[in-house]
Amino acid sequence: MTQDWYEENPQRVTEADLVVALPSFREAKLIGYPVTQAARGLRRYFPEQRTVIIDCDNASDDGTKEAFFGADTEGVPRIYLATPPGVRGKGNNFQNLFRKVLELKAKAVVVVDADLKSITPQWIKHLAEPLFSDFGYVAPLYVRHKHDGTITNAVAYPLTRALYGRRVRQPIGGDFGFAGSLAQAFLASPTWTRAVGEFGIDVWMTTLAMVSNQPICQAYMGRPKIHKAKGAGADITPLFSQVVGTIFDLMRQSADYWRRVKWSKPTSIYGFSLGETELPPPVKLNEDQLLAGFRLGGEVHSATWRRVLPPDQMNKLLEIAALPSEEFDFPTQVWAKLLYDFAVAYAREEVPRPDLLNSLIPLYYGKTFSFVRKTAKMSVQQAEEFIENECMVFEETKPYLIERWPA
Amino acid sequence: MPKILIVDDEEHIRFLYSEELTDEGYEVITADSGLGLLERIAAEKPDVVILDIKMVDYNGLDLLQDIRNKYYDLPVILCTAYDTFKEDMKSIAANFYVIKSFDLTELKGKIKMALETRLPGQ
Repeated sequence: MTQDWYEENPQRVTEADLVVALPSFREAKLIGYPVTQAARGLRRYFPEQRTVIIDCDNASDDGTKEAFFGADTEGVPRIYLATPPGVRGKGNNFQNLFRKVLELKAKAVVVVDADLKSITPQWIKHLAEPLFSDFGYVAPLYVRHKHDGTITNAVAYPLTRALYGRRVRQPIGGDFGFAGSLAQAFLASPTWTRAVGEFGIDVWMTTLAMVSNQPICQAYMGRPKIHKAKGAGADITPLFSQVVGTIFDLMRQSADYWRRVKWSKPTSIYGFSLGETELPPPVKLNEDQLLAGFRLGGEVHSATWRRVLPPDQMNKLLEIAALPSEEFDFPTQVWAKLLYDFAVAYAREEVPRPDLLNSLIPLYYGKTFSFVRKTAKMSVQQAEEFIENECMVFEETKPYLIERWPA
Repeated sequence: MPKILIVDDEEHIRFLYSEELTDEGYEVITADSGLGLLERIAAEKPDVVILDIKMVDYNGLDLLQDIRNKYYDLPVILCTAYDTFKEDMKSIAANFYVIKSFDLTELKGKIKMALETRLPGQ
């Protein structure tokens, strides 16, 4: 993975101990706030370190660069990096970041989203401090509403946990820290794909940290993650396909590792001194739309499903599809096996991979509808426990995957 | 034979668990508080720690943090009479938790899982 970058480095920073990076694309309205908060965090908690804030941008045309340089950083220097015009994707921004981190010989790197509205200076402390105490990778731990982060809850968390044996609750959280030395490993990895260059980057980095046995901790952020809303009608297809496609790609490339993993282990937790936990804002999912999406998928994709799923799994799916909405239930064991079946079909290329991923989306809608129904009366904590139990089902079902996985 | 460290301030629990787990073929050692726990772990090198959450002088969740900070991969099973502890996110640093019971079937199952847990390169 090589690409050119455009750089503005007005303070001529050549070395840094700690980097805070914000990947961005058209964030002129919002980037100023997280930059200011990050600068406060650096000044307050890391006054002895050489620090720099980097905007890793997709050459935005809305004034993101000017907003970045216009924010008050209380003297913390800044660097602006941009992909070539027309090159988009969060992962492509990270590619520039990895190279710059090596150039700067940085010991620690913190990444936060450029559209964050709930970031505090303590987030920088909690994501960076473990990196100076032997941890190689720091994932965020937020309190999220039970119906927020449905791709994480239904796919990314249970799969990464069952596959790689490390319990990282937000493997695609977007805000994290990593040791500077990992930048070289990221750059050298042969597993880079187009999807990693876009939304697949978060789960890619988390997975590489796991399979390279980096000491991982989860940093408790104390506040919910609040950022720019995607809009009720936002198309989830690119996000879903790139995240799940990246998970499936990494499964192909790291089968020797995950086949040997049995059960899972927790990680260290960092940062409990933030006072009272704030409750996350409620998230209302459109249940009718989820069920309709599932049922429509049956009409459009059933031929693909029949090619991917063994007959007994297909029969179970047909039974689920026949349930009326008030009795709808997508059992976790069926869902876990189904994801494993799709991963196997992806590895074997039984169906063109983009078609395969597209056909999985309606099933994810069905699973999410079932989850919303089951957790409707649960507290956030009870829903968390429910998800933990689902993860155990994924771990218990893993021998099914190992048995089906192509030799 | 795997070594289990039971940390609980209730004598009858320590006795019951010791008896039952010894019968299962484990070597069992006990501690009646969190005092000097890290030193005890360093000296005895247990394979699994069973940790009571509510002890008179110690909070098991704080002890869990101390253990996890020093022994990244040491399996810890939280044991409690109340499940309200789950509201504290510190509890997720444990491998498992069980509700205290005179029936030790669940605890024995979790110990077995903790001992079976395997990650390559470790």
